[in-house]
Amino acid sequence: MDITVQEFWQGLINGLALGWIYVLMALGLTLIFGIMHIMQFAHGEIYMLGAYITYYLISSYKGPLYMAAGLSMLAMTVLGVILERFLFRPFKENWTAAVVAAVGLSLILQSGVIVMFGLHHRNLPMLAEGPFNIMGSIIVPKDRIVAVAVAVFLSLVLYLFLKATKYGQAMVASAQNPDGAILQGIGPDKMAALSMGIGCALAAAGGVLAGSMFQMGPFMGILPLVKGLLIIVIGGLGSLPGAFIAGMSLGLIDGVFPILFGHAWASLSPLFFVIFILVIKPQGLFGHE
Amino acid sequence: MNREGMVKIFGCIGAIVLAIAAPLALSSIYWTSVFTSIAINSLMAASLRTIFIIGEFSLGHVGFMCIGAYTSALLTMKAGLPFGLTLPAAGLLAGLVAFALGYPFMRVKGIYFVILTLVTSESFRLLIYNWKNFTGGYDGLIGFPGAGVLSIPGLGQVDFNGFTEYYYLTLAVVCVSLFILYRLEKSRLGFTWLAIQEADKMAGAVGVNVLRYKVIAFSIASFFAGLGGGLLAHFERALGPQATAFFGVMTTIYLLIYMVVGGKSKFVGPIMGAVVLSLISEFTRPVEEYQPMIIGAIAIAMVMLIPEGLVSIPEKIGKWLSRPLE
Repeated sequence: MDITVQEFWQGLINGLALGWIYVLMALGLTLIFGIMHIMQFAHGEIYMLGAYITYYLISSYKGPLYMAAGLSMLAMTVLGVILERFLFRPFKENWTAAVVAAVGLSLILQSGVIVMFGLHHRNLPMLAEGPFNIMGSIIVPKDRIVAVAVAVFLSLVLYLFLKATKYGQAMVASAQNPDGAILQGIGPDKMAALSMGIGCALAAAGGVLAGSMFQMGPFMGILPLVKGLLIIVIGGLGSLPGAFIAGMSLGLIDGVFPILFGHAWASLSPLFFVIFILVIKPQGLFGHE
Repeated sequence: MNREGMVKIFGCIGAIVLAIAAPLALSSIYWTSVFTSIAINSLMAASLRTIFIIGEFSLGHVGFMCIGAYTSALLTMKAGLPFGLTLPAAGLLAGLVAFALGYPFMRVKGIYFVILTLVTSESFRLLIYNWKNFTGGYDGLIGFPGAGVLSIPGLGQVDFNGFTEYYYLTLAVVCVSLFILYRLEKSRLGFTWLAIQEADKMAGAVGVNVLRYKVIAFSIASFFAGLGGGLLAHFERALGPQATAFFGVMTTIYLLIYMVVGGKSKFVGPIMGAVVLSLISEFTRPVEEYQPMIIGAIAIAMVMLIPEGLVSIPEKIGKWLSRPLE
């Protein structure tokens, strides 16, 4: 099999863009899990819903993509807070019931979107038009670069929020030691609502980026959900650097391995990767007990 | 014999008689095939519970079903083996894969294990989808033989290609498998599993090889999932584009919901959940696109209102009837 330089670069760039979308998913999931101790298995559907709301706003009101995406992130934030209050709060003490509630929610959202929009694949407008040349011979589509830039920006904003603001520090405290945080006047329910809001907004952003670069469909959320969860296992729970490294590795595996080894082996490679990590370090690359 | 034992035995006999009589009474191919898939679903949900007994949760059960289905289909198609051999082979391969994966996976617990199983089943599905020259990929495998003629001791040669005959074959395999699972649970092995569920560190401290017993539970559950897959493959006689979607996350979610809605504390719970919810999805077929919504809403309502599941309802009614009068 001959692989041209161009093909390889294409895979690399696609992988990078995919990786950052996975990182956005993983950041939301790890934030929610860190504070609520609930794995949000409906996060993929939030991602899908984010893309579909953007699509709806653009097709019905002819709004520009960026405004529609912002509104959709806002809508998902509100949805996240509502879900936290009415769906997940009753299951605080019981993670198995919470898993069932989350998968039930994902069935409801998926079938809701199928009822509203049908099973067709749809497309969002491109993030940016045209190619971009690096060193003359290598051509990179501009929208991939915009997607990576947006994802990096959002991750940086989250990082700064957690490190440098009062609410961010309160969230970190609540994740590290909920009881200690309560003694300092940090209410766990408020932090849970905040984490769901932020997590859902990040998922919606990921959905919009994916919907505009690739196709969108009612089942588009499953793969990024799986990858987001995988990133948490590989990178270690609650670790932002772990999430970045694991996300980049998985994205590059997804982008480059199909070109190098064919699709069949590439589909097993994340599994082998996670088994390898588990054998050498069961708590993840940057995790600690 | 005490009252509870009588209820169990008569309930079991009643269910089997009902299952044997149902296709004869309804005598429609459509309903017979519905009953076949309900029987397979019951086996899947009950074997999923075996993983639950060791205190873990799996969202990847359908992956092992997928291995079983393709093993059996490929062996009959490419090697020309009879169904009587390919079905156990389907279970064995699924069990072996689970055994190999069990050692690294059982190093983690709780939500991590759930994630790993989910990743596993998605990887298997993508492998099937992408390995075009072996599994057919998106186009799938079409036209592999059905169960064919098998010689059954006492009955002689029986042709299992018809829908009704295949239903009885499935029912027999499922009943035997459920019986084995039930006996295993009540055996010494089952009690060790329960000890691990209750307190795995304690079980380890008194000399139980926790990792090994966990891997055994995972492998046995996956063996029966593989059998279920084999049964499904020869029932459908084709693993086409729908099949690659069928072995995805959605089916896994359904299995989990069957188990939890039925009630995971008792052996009969998952079976009850599978039967009741499959019938509900069958009756809501006219509004097909709302089906997942209905099942999802039932799941959420159940975990909120009756978290112990359907099996706890008679007990609850009994308690309510015998409550002290004011």
